[in-house]
Amino acid sequence: MKMNIQFSLNGKSISRDVPTHRLLLDLLRDEIGVTGTKEGCGTGDCGACTVFLNGKPVNSCLVLSGELDGAEIVTIEGLKIGPELHPIQKTFLQDGGAQCGYCTPGMLMMSKALLDENPNPSEEEIRFALAGNLCRCTGYAKIVQAVQDAAALLRNR
Amino acid sequence: MAKAETFSVVGQRVQRIEGFEKVTGDSKFIADIFLPGMLVGKVLRSPFPHARIRHIDISKAERLPGVRAVVTAEDTIKRPWGAFFADQYILSVGKARYVGEEVAAVAAIDPDIAEEAVDLIEIDWEPLPGVFDAEEAMKDGAPLVHDDKPNNIAMTLDIERGNIAQAFAESDVIVEDTFQSMPQWHCSIETIGSVAEYAPSGKYTIYMNTQTLFNARYRIAAALGVPETDARIIQSAVGGGFGGKSCDDNNALVAAVLARKARKPVKLINTREEEFLAGCRPRVYMKINVKLGFKKDGRIRAKQVKVIADNGAYSAKAPAITGVAAMRHDTCYKYTDVKTEAKLVYTNKVPTGAFRGFGNPSAEWAVEQAIDLGAHELGIDPIEIARINAAESGYVSPHGNRVTSCELKQCLDMAEKMIGWKTKRANKAPNTGLGLACTVHVSGKRHFGDYDGSSATIKLNEDGKALILSGEGECGQGAHTAMCQIAAEELGIRVEDVEISRADTDLTTFCLGAFASRLTYVSGNAVKNAATNVKRQLFEQAAEMLEANLEDLISRDGRVFVKGAEGKSVTVADVARARLFRHNGAPIVGSGSFDADSVLPDSTRFGNESGAYNYGVQAAEVHVDPETGQVRVLNFVIASDCGTVIYPMGAEGQVEGGLAQGIGYALTEGLQFDEGRPVNPNFSDYRIPSMRDMPPLKYAFADSYEPTGPFGAKGLGELNMDPTAAVINNAIFDAVGVRVKNLPITPEKILKALRDKEKKG
Ligand code: FES
Ligand code: FES
Repeated sequence: MKMNIQFSLNGKSISRDVPTHRLLLDLLRDEIGVTGTKEGCGTGDCGACTVFLNGKPVNSCLVLSGELDGAEIVTIEGLKIGPELHPIQKTFLQDGGAQCGYCTPGMLMMSKALLDENPNPSEEEIRFALAGNLCRCTGYAKIVQAVQDAAALLRNR
Repeated sequence: MAKAETFSVVGQRVQRIEGFEKVTGDSKFIADIFLPGMLVGKVLRSPFPHARIRHIDISKAERLPGVRAVVTAEDTIKRPWGAFFADQYILSVGKARYVGEEVAAVAAIDPDIAEEAVDLIEIDWEPLPGVFDAEEAMKDGAPLVHDDKPNNIAMTLDIERGNIAQAFAESDVIVEDTFQSMPQWHCSIETIGSVAEYAPSGKYTIYMNTQTLFNARYRIAAALGVPETDARIIQSAVGGGFGGKSCDDNNALVAAVLARKARKPVKLINTREEEFLAGCRPRVYMKINVKLGFKKDGRIRAKQVKVIADNGAYSAKAPAITGVAAMRHDTCYKYTDVKTEAKLVYTNKVPTGAFRGFGNPSAEWAVEQAIDLGAHELGIDPIEIARINAAESGYVSPHGNRVTSCELKQCLDMAEKMIGWKTKRANKAPNTGLGLACTVHVSGKRHFGDYDGSSATIKLNEDGKALILSGEGECGQGAHTAMCQIAAEELGIRVEDVEISRADTDLTTFCLGAFASRLTYVSGNAVKNAATNVKRQLFEQAAEMLEANLEDLISRDGRVFVKGAEGKSVTVADVARARLFRHNGAPIVGSGSFDADSVLPDSTRFGNESGAYNYGVQAAEVHVDPETGQVRVLNFVIASDCGTVIYPMGAEGQVEGGLAQGIGYALTEGLQFDEGRPVNPNFSDYRIPSMRDMPPLKYAFADSYEPTGPFGAKGLGELNMDPTAAVINNAIFDAVGVRVKNLPITPEKILKALRDKEKKG
C-alpha cells in the first residue's frame, strides 16, 4: 500500500508516495538517492544505518516509511556545518577513525548524538554510547580518540 | 637493521588520501552504484545441506509482472571453477552441497517483486544424507560430497624435512596436544555485492567490491566461458575485505548471468544472512595435533603437526591455507627437523577459505600453545624459550623460506617491556596470568601461477601532480595512502600532489590484489619502480632546462634542484609542461613492475614462498573469574617487525584492528552448525567485538629495514591477529592452570575445564 508522506530531510522538505512498509534506510538510499547512510545488517544489530529522526539517533533499517509523515530526518549528508566539516568529521579524518569507512557514517551520527547530550564524555562513556555501532576494521581505538578530540574542539568553540 | 635512509614523506603522519569522502558519506560503495535501467537480483538458495535437484520449474516466476530474468544452471555453461580446484558451479548442477548454495536467481524491477518471484520457483528436491564432520567424512562408506573424491579427501600433504624420528629420540622433553580452531567469519560491515552489465558484443562489465580484481577476472572469465578481455571488473569502494572479498563466491557470476539474460544491468547485494550462508568463505577450521621435542636448554629439536581441515563443500583457497597451517610457522623459530601431515576434507557445509592470517591463526593457536606447554615442562620462562629459538635475519627454514630481515628478538624485548613481563611474573596476583606468542607472516605469496608481482603506471600531469594507475585492491586497509607516499618520496613531490586510481581491469595493468599482506611490499615496489621511471624522464627534461648534468639533480617538495646550487631550480609542473608542449612533445608517464624473489614451491612444497617475512610478538595479561569463567583481558601489547613503517596511522590501524579480530576469534565468535545448517547467521548471535570488548593496548614497531622492500618496508596486515588466541589461552593457563582446547574460549568451557581439573585433584 502506498501513501503520501511529507518530511524534512537535511533541512529540505520532501513529499513522496511510498509503500508504507518501505524501510527508512531503503527510502533514503534507493528512492531518494541519498546514499551516505549504510546497511550493515538490516536487523538493528550494527548501527551502520544510524540517522537522526526528530533529533534522536535511530537505526533506519528498523523504521517504516509509514511512520515518517511530518518527521525531521538528518543523515550524514546533513552533518556538515555549511561547507565546513563538523568537528567530529574533522577529528575522524585527522585521527584515522575511518579505515574502510563503511561504518563511519553511522559511527559519526552516533558520536554526534553522544556529544549533543554529553559534551565531555569519559572514555568509558564513549565506549558505552557507541557499543551498538560495529566496526570490523579499526579496533575502535582511533574512533574513541576522534570522539574525545571532537569533544575538546566543540567545547573550545 | 637500523634505518638506512631518512625520508621526507615515507613515515610521516599523513592522513588517509580518500579520508574526506569517507567522513562525508560520499564514498561510492557497491550498493551506491546505480545504473540506468538497473534491475534488482535475488537468489534462491538450497535449504538442504545435501540434496539432489530432480526438477526446477521457473515458469510461474517468469510470468510474474516485473520479472525480467529467471536463471538456473541451464543458463550457464556448467563449467566448474575455483581458485585451486575447479569444483563449484555458478548455480547448482544436479545437486546442492550446502545450505545456502545458489540454485536459481531472479532479476526484477524492484526488490519486492524479486523476492516474490524467488518464492514462485518450484524445485523438486531429493534430500540426501550429508557429512558434517571432517573426521566422519573420511570414513569408508560416508556419503560423498563430490562423487570423484573418495573418502571426501580434497588434498593430502605428507612432508618430512630432516629426520623426525631421530630428532624426537634426541629430545629431552616432548609435549603433545590437540587443538581445534573454528569457522570465523570476516563480518566486513559491508557485505559482498556486484552490479553487472552485459553488452550484446559479448562483453561483461562488472562492478565489484572485490579486493582481488584480476584474480576475479580470471575466475569469472573461466566460469562464464569468455576471454579475460570480455570480463571487465571495476572496483567500487570496498567496505572491508579481510580475505572474504577475494572472489571465491558466486555473487558476481550470478549477477552476470542475470544481466545477460535480462539485457539490463543487475545489482545483487548479499543480505547479512546470505553473507554468512554463502558469501565470504569463512576461515578453514582445523583440528591440529602438535608434538614438539625440546632439548633441556630450551632449544626446539623436533616439530610434528597433523592437521585435519574442514573444506566445506567446495575448495576455494583452502588447499593453500591448509598448507600454510601445516608449514608457515616453521619460519618463526629455528627449526631443523619437522614433519607435517595434513588432510583437507569435504563436508556439506559452507565452503571455507581465506580470512586474514590464512592458515596461521589456526596453526599458531595450536603451535604457540605447545611452545608454552614445553616451557612449563622445562621450567623455563616462555619468553626465554622464544628468545632461544627465535628466527633471525639470514635464517632459511626447513622448507626453503629465506629470511632477509627479522627483528623477532627486538620484538620480544619490546613486548616484555611494554607489558612488564618480569615484574608481573614475579608478583603474580590470584587468577591473573600472562601469556605470549610469536608470529610470522609473509609479504606476498607465490601461488597463483609463477608470479608474485605487481605493476603500476604513473602519469605526471601538466600541473606537476601525479596519478598512480594501480590494479591492486584497496579494501579499506589504507594501502593506497602508502602507495601515494612511496611515489611522492621517490618523485620528490608532496603527498598531497599524488592521486591513485581505483582498480579497473580495462584501465590498469595486471595486479594480483590484496592478499598475503602483499600490497605495501610487492605493490609498493612496483609503484616505486614506476616512480623511478617517471623521475628519469623528469630529470632528463629538467637537466636541459637547468643546463645541468642529470646525475646532479635532486627533487623535493615539487621542485627539481641542482645539488649544491639549490637556488637553481624549476618546478615539477614546469618540467612536465616543457616536456609536453614542444616539438616531439610527450607526456611524462612511466610504468614499473616488480616480481618478488620467491619460488613457486615444488611438488614437495619446498621453495621460498615470499620475498620477505614479517614478524611479531603479542603478550596479554588476563584475569579469570573462577566462579563465572569470565575472562577479562587487562592489558595487551603488540610488537611488530614490518620493516620501515610507511604510513603510521595505517600501520597502527592494522595493529588495532587485527587485535579486535583476534579477540573475537579467541573469545566470542564462531559459526555454529546444526546438521550443516548455520544456527547463528546474524550479528546478534554471532558476536564480533564491540567498542566495549577491547582491552587497553600498547604497541611498538621494531627498528627494522627490509633490504628488498620499498624504502625498507614489508607486510603487516595479517600479523596482528595470527597469534592472539594462543596468547590469551596461554595467559588463561598461567592464571588458573587450565586450557580450553577448542575455540572460542567461552566462560562455560573454562568452568568445565576448572571442574575437570578439580575432579582430577
Ligand atoms: S543496518 Fe541497521 S543496524 Fe545494521
Ligand atoms: S572502518 Fe571499516 S567497518 Fe569501520
